Amino acid sequence: MEEFINVGKRIPKLDAEEKVTGRAVYIHDLKFPGMLYGKILYSPHPHARIKGIDTSKAERLPGVKAVLTGNTIPPVKFGFYKDNVPLKAGKVRCCRDEVAAVAATDPDIAEEAIELIKVDYEILPAIFDPEEAMKEGALLVHEDHVGGKEKKPTNVLNLPWRFTAGDVEQARKDSAYVAQDRFRVTWVNHCCMGTSGCVALFDPKDNLTMYSITQIPSLAQKDYLGALSAMGLKEKKVRVIKTMIGGGFGSKLDTYAFEYIAILLAHKTRKPVKILFSREEEFFATSPRQPAIIDIAQGCTKDGRLTFRDIRMILDNGAYTSWGATTPSVMMMPISSLYQVPNVRYVAKCVYTNNTYSQAMRGYGNPQATFAIDSQIDTLAEMAGIDPLDFRLRNSNMPGEITPQNFKITTCGLKECIDAVAQKLDWRQNRGRRNGRGLGMASMIHVGGGARVYNSDGCGTIIKIDDFGTVNVITGATDMGQGADTVIAQIAAEELGVRVEDVVVTHTDTDVCPWDVGAHASRTTFVAGNSARGAARRVKEQLLEVAAKSMGESPEHLDIRNRVIYSKIDPEKKTPIGKILRAAHYAAGGRMMIAEYFYDPPNENLDPKEWKGNLSVTYAYGTHGVEVEVDKETGQVKILKYVAAHDVGRAINPMLLEGQVYGGVAMGIGYALTERLILKNGKVVNPNFLDYKMLTAKDVPNIEPIVIETNDPFGPFGAKGIGEPGLVPTAPAIANAIYDAVGVRIKELPITPERVLAALKEKEQG
Amino acid sequence: MDKQILTFTLNGEPVQLEIEPHLTLLQVLREELELPGTKEGCGMGECGACTVLLDGKTVNSCIFPALEVEGKSVMTIEGVADAKRGLHPIQKAFVEHGAVQCGFCTPGMVLSAKALLDENPKPTEEEIRNGIAGNLCRCTGYLQIIEAIKAVSNQL
Amino acid sequence: MKRFEYLRPKTLDEAIALLQHYGKKATLIAGGTDVIVMAKQKKVVPEVLISLQGIPGLDQIHSNGTLKLGPLVTHRAIEKSDVIQREYPALSDAVGWLGSIQIRNVATIGGNICTAAPSADTACPLLVLNAHLKIRGANSERTVPIDQFFIGPGQTTLSPGEILTEIEIPELLPNTGSAYWKHQRRLALDLPILGVAVLISLDKSTVTCSDLLCTTSPISAVLHRLEEDELLCKQIRIALGVAAPTPMRAKKAETLLRGKKISDELIEEVADTASKEAQPRDSIRGEAWYRRDMIKVLVKRMIMQSIERVVRPDENVFPERLW
Repeated sequence: MEEFINVGKRIPKLDAEEKVTGRAVYIHDLKFPGMLYGKILYSPHPHARIKGIDTSKAERLPGVKAVLTGNTIPPVKFGFYKDNVPLKAGKVRCCRDEVAAVAATDPDIAEEAIELIKVDYEILPAIFDPEEAMKEGALLVHEDHVGGKEKKPTNVLNLPWRFTAGDVEQARKDSAYVAQDRFRVTWVNHCCMGTSGCVALFDPKDNLTMYSITQIPSLAQKDYLGALSAMGLKEKKVRVIKTMIGGGFGSKLDTYAFEYIAILLAHKTRKPVKILFSREEEFFATSPRQPAIIDIAQGCTKDGRLTFRDIRMILDNGAYTSWGATTPSVMMMPISSLYQVPNVRYVAKCVYTNNTYSQAMRGYGNPQATFAIDSQIDTLAEMAGIDPLDFRLRNSNMPGEITPQNFKITTCGLKECIDAVAQKLDWRQNRGRRNGRGLGMASMIHVGGGARVYNSDGCGTIIKIDDFGTVNVITGATDMGQGADTVIAQIAAEELGVRVEDVVVTHTDTDVCPWDVGAHASRTTFVAGNSARGAARRVKEQLLEVAAKSMGESPEHLDIRNRVIYSKIDPEKKTPIGKILRAAHYAAGGRMMIAEYFYDPPNENLDPKEWKGNLSVTYAYGTHGVEVEVDKETGQVKILKYVAAHDVGRAINPMLLEGQVYGGVAMGIGYALTERLILKNGKVVNPNFLDYKMLTAKDVPNIEPIVIETNDPFGPFGAKGIGEPGLVPTAPAIANAIYDAVGVRIKELPITPERVLAALKEKEQG
Repeated sequence: MDKQILTFTLNGEPVQLEIEPHLTLLQVLREELELPGTKEGCGMGECGACTVLLDGKTVNSCIFPALEVEGKSVMTIEGVADAKRGLHPIQKAFVEHGAVQCGFCTPGMVLSAKALLDENPKPTEEEIRNGIAGNLCRCTGYLQIIEAIKAVSNQL
Repeated sequence: MKRFEYLRPKTLDEAIALLQHYGKKATLIAGGTDVIVMAKQKKVVPEVLISLQGIPGLDQIHSNGTLKLGPLVTHRAIEKSDVIQREYPALSDAVGWLGSIQIRNVATIGGNICTAAPSADTACPLLVLNAHLKIRGANSERTVPIDQFFIGPGQTTLSPGEILTEIEIPELLPNTGSAYWKHQRRLALDLPILGVAVLISLDKSTVTCSDLLCTTSPISAVLHRLEEDELLCKQIRIALGVAAPTPMRAKKAETLLRGKKISDELIEEVADTASKEAQPRDSIRGEAWYRRDMIKVLVKRMIMQSIERVVRPDENVFPERLW
């Protein structure tokens, strides 16, 4: 097997040097001549009627160039449920509702202007409990929203989240053991270190340029075009330019109200308008992870084979609808396909409340569902008297199987991951001590080969090579720090036979870059990688065609390695690439070396009734294992050992891959133990880093990553996705370890010391 | 409000400017002196993204009154690399060990690492974690940053 | 942040005169890590900030029997002081946990206690060390014991125009040990759910103990290990943070142990009384019931930790885990 030059190497991120010298340009650093600063006035009430808005003082403040309210803007509706508008008129439905916006010559003036706007509210009663909001006669968040077969007014959204496979009722009857529990997970924030923002500017013909930190440039373009259309600007162009992105994690998968507000302000003032979120706004005005109330039952036979999984979820949809309401479509994945379970039933209801609303966050529903599923697996195993390790092995997914959701599992390293974790933790020796120290494990499945969420799951790449051998890879993919740029460069370089140093990756401008559906579902390495590989192959063909003539060989006998074109038959016959390139370009009737390739993976949409289909080309599996120590007097949990095993297909860049695992696990530990957005009467009461408990460098334990390479036949050089998996099994692994340590099962996240202590006291009394 | 004159040393060079007295050091660096390398992550001294060195010690520039740097020396990320010798060993190590992902926390993190190693060239892992505990990072999970600092320390 | 003037007087008298002149329009600023944050949050809206940083001599640490700290001594300077770590370890514990190095390089001990948050980390150690505060006004100088200094959340007995000029810790009895525990959710950048400081003076110390005494050993085990029949508690002070509107001394609990022989039962009673004396409340940072429970657990642990510091004064080992 030939050794790779670029793939599998620990190559530094391409833009690391820019960042480490402070030269990288983020949205915060952008300045344009005449640029104005936009600021937003938010509703202080979770539910109120707007009786009047007086903007006169704000408009008169020197330096203020525009003031907008819900009544003065065109009807731009956004969100896939189309229930949200950039500035609210008539009614506010949650504490982050945007009521007015201002553009001024400097941020201080803009802030002062916001304070001068007087809004007359009639406070209305509000509803915060989704279970209450589901009941008949409950207070309505959107009065004209109707649903159900009878089209009655309701807070329950009309979304088709139902999945059935096999016969759950019969399977329940046939089960030797059945576990039934309720789990709860709450809102958490992405905590991107760079806050959100954008700059909007129009050219004299009303074409829009958006400087953005979006993860979905092509789809964002579409959203902005929709806005322009609603503004009466038809047949205009939109250009999306990405700056360096200060963290994504799914937060940039949506197009936010503030972006539409920037566009409206820019159009009104005819000047570039920048809106930049403060950290406080980042906490309360961006959309957090979807919370859920999960009622779950699982059963098994006497010898521990899973028989069924029956799950009902209630999702607090908040006041408006964003991607959080679609997390059930992803939650179906672990529900139907984590471990082998033949009978599955799943129903999820999304309910309007006057709380904040959720969108995509790393894992997109998978961490929530896996917390419930894999916590309960331990409970079921205990009922059956089987070691949870053996229980998982017994039910492990296998290569080649087809799951109840019709996922075609090709490569599957789950068994290897479970074994690796058990071995690293000395599972057989160390588990079951119940002395304050305990071991726990949990597994995960995630899409690893793209995900056909929309009609297209594709990504386009253009590759051109100049005379000097610089390979310009122009991709639709997005790098938000995770390393997409570097991995794409490695794949292209390897395919082309050059070195990573020769590659420049361009991914920031929709005027230049081809279409891509977006950086989500951990799809970038797989889809953009395959796309880059395809383009590289085509350019290579062109190169070899030209080389064939001058080298007197037929193209099939030639190959390129390490910047040298050589004959496979006679390896002494070789020419450096540069020579061929210059010859090609400068010869009479010369040609460029440029090729394009659009890769749309051979996966399927889930059918919209049964929700079945091979969503991804391949699936990523993993298992995490953890050793904890619980202080029985204070309830505090300390992580002593953490092992994260992942089936990654192939590690294109082991160093960047480890970075994804470490970062994912750190985020996952926060989700499990310390993080939560606290809402009181609909208002976020901890919108800062002091009271929102993200892990610091002193809190993160040492994490041992184990990389299992199953060499997927469809992945570029065998690779699968890794962006999200690190975060998915963290909470259940920790919860299971706590149970092993002190015998209490915490079913609500975060697992705070208070919850552990309360459970310990209850256990003592009971 | 009358402006006041501020004189100090910035990245080894003398600087004098007139500023409004309420400005923070971060505002002076980013807006008055147009050095955007120092970042604002929270504006409240809770995340460390705005970390700069004041007479060799780390401070959160977002809550530091600019007038208090009078007569002192400030180092920002722009002053860490050497014009002749190139990247500082800490910067090189960050690049080589995967310690940089989105990069927003990186300038502050590099300066905290520098202050740590300047004072204590052979820190234990505990001391390294303590040295960067005031710098939040959401991307890396800190471990590769700790590895990078260890690597530099081993060379010293 | 609204605009303000920034003045840098060169002497204390000048500072006091400026304070008098501007009255309510002015706020004193030391390091600024509280004041600037509060100004940004609009909790204070000063027209004038009067900085103490320009006044020489306010950042000194003097120790010879008594410990004298200038108000501008930074938490970092305290953290690095060997004498404080050895003789007044509760204070050393407190500053080590405070915020981050960036904050500690700038934030001052004077600022910490004058901001007077119920969670102020240095308050509890200073309470058990029985600190006395020297305060200077336009025409007056007075000394206030710290347990009379805090009168409400964010409120002290400082009158307008007065400045804290020195923190003095009186001479300690021989065989004194102290400790502070900040009960928090993260290991940095955090405010305490609860803070507990203890100072204990014993009638004797048996020095030849080289292995680590686990802080959660019952005193009976300690006595057995030290081959002592009894240890007498000559002095005990217990201070609690975030357990009342101000940092407080658990005086009722103290009287149970002061002058008595130390026993497991007595320590248990002391911890229980302290928890009943406190008035913790529910907040987003912690629930009252949990705070009360933790007072019991942590007072016990800090008493044992303080005893350990008497017994092993030369090795100030902070245990990695308290269980």
